[in-house]
Amino acid sequence: MSEQPAPSHQQTAVPPGEHVVCRPSEAELAARPKVIEVDHLDWSYGKRQVLFDISLDVRQGEIMMIMGGSGSGKSTLLRHLVGLMPPLPGKVKLLGKDFGTLKPMEKLDLRRKIGVAFQFGALFSSMNVAENVKLPLRELTKLNEKTMDIMARIKLEVVNLSGFGDLMPAALSGGMVKRASIARAIIMDPKLLFLDEPSSGLDPAVSSALDDLILRLREAMDISVVIVTHDIDSAFKIGDRITILDKGRILASERVETIRNNKNERVQHLLNRQAEEIEVDPTEYLKRLTGG
Amino acid sequence: MTAVARFFETIGRRTVQSLDEVGYGASLLGESLFWLAMGRRYRQPVRVEATMLAMLSFGVSALPIATLLSGTIGLMLAIQSLYSLGLFGAESFAYIGIAFGVVREFSPIIMGILIAGRSGSAIAARLATMTINQEIDALQVIGINPVRFLVSPVLIALVITVPCLAMWANLVSITCAGLYVSAALDISFMAYIRDTMSVLTTHDIWHGIGKSALFGVLIALVGVINGAGVTGGAEGVGQVTTRAVVQSITLIVLADMIFAYISTH
Repeated sequence: MSEQPAPSHQQTAVPPGEHVVCRPSEAELAARPKVIEVDHLDWSYGKRQVLFDISLDVRQGEIMMIMGGSGSGKSTLLRHLVGLMPPLPGKVKLLGKDFGTLKPMEKLDLRRKIGVAFQFGALFSSMNVAENVKLPLRELTKLNEKTMDIMARIKLEVVNLSGFGDLMPAALSGGMVKRASIARAIIMDPKLLFLDEPSSGLDPAVSSALDDLILRLREAMDISVVIVTHDIDSAFKIGDRITILDKGRILASERVETIRNNKNERVQHLLNRQAEEIEVDPTEYLKRLTGG
Repeated sequence: MTAVARFFETIGRRTVQSLDEVGYGASLLGESLFWLAMGRRYRQPVRVEATMLAMLSFGVSALPIATLLSGTIGLMLAIQSLYSLGLFGAESFAYIGIAFGVVREFSPIIMGILIAGRSGSAIAARLATMTINQEIDALQVIGINPVRFLVSPVLIALVITVPCLAMWANLVSITCAGLYVSAALDISFMAYIRDTMSVLTTHDIWHGIGKSALFGVLIALVGVINGAGVTGGAEGVGQVTTRAVVQSITLIVLADMIFAYISTH
């Protein structure tokens, strides 16, 4: 890490009162090692192919936003990135290691360096918040109870949930569930953090606070973050790069500063929140409706 | 497609699905035993606390209803034995049928059915809910093997708990039957127990324990297979829960028949 160039963060103009976003410059990111490499990944559910020749990479300390309409393959791509699906054909390398070729113990070691927060939190309903956060420590380390308690309290403090450790997940609000899920994802101090729709279902204020939290985590832990999201404002606020998927293919993967100027019509539709215009033959449409 | 072709296609699809589930069950059993034996080596031991909690939930909590059922079965067997044997004046031999019936058949099967309904459904519902809520995915990405974490403790707990409950049921059934028979025939309760002990052998006891352990395995695997295979939301959870109970009870009855045949030939 000491060989890397000194930070030359670019500040993005933000309204007064909001968190100032410090983005690593393109040159700075290019000098950092690749921590995620996806190479010619295809995937099908039965006969329906959902990912076509996906290749992308994420650099250390980068925040990559993956966007796209519903059914574009974002969640499937995320499942491949976190090792829940085998990359066949194709390759997914995390921290230089190919998930598909690792032995069980090597996989386990790699998983310890990854944190994942799922869309609906995926907190274990039978455990309270603190137990949820401590679970990776309890199962994967030999730390004593007191140390685990302290570490869980620290992480809950980081996500502004201190004092809520004794509550059961069912007693938390949507935003609190997401934050608790992030606390569990970072308990092992991962090098890679994956977040699935962190702002979905949250009001703008909570969503903005979550964005600030993600930025703080990047700054404090120098982790790389991959976020699957529909939230365009959030993507432009915290992302370094935005990858747009459409029908299983990458339409664009660019820095947030340049993607607005992308000439692709579908990219523009998505970024400007416009519905896709589909030409409809009235006769065909009527036939489809009436079943004739 | 004709109705006949559709009929055979349905049979074929269900057969393949059943074979698939049998294979999945066998692999689950193998993987559970693997984690039990090798968990420490892979730094993922099967937790004793989780197993004890499962035993508490499946076994100790079921004791009141298990006692009630086995007591009732003992009384029912005593009433029927005295009635049927009384037709040809052999009431005094009622203890033989009751002893064998309880130890070899009724205790294991009644406890198996009770636990299938009570705990098999709970296992399926829990696994299904966890699958839908992505909790299983969460375990995997954390690096916790779901079979080691969720299935092994349940399997061990049921293999221990169902035979223990069956032994308890033996005790309660024979006691209740003894109380009824001794009162009806005007003999001492201790004489009844002595007669019962004289006909039972350790082989009969092991027969019941072995069957109960097998039922425990079946209940655990059927619950897990159904729970993990859930599709849809809350409705899916309801469906797999019902399916788990029906399949468990069916398999218990079938296994009981096969076990009885093999052990007596």
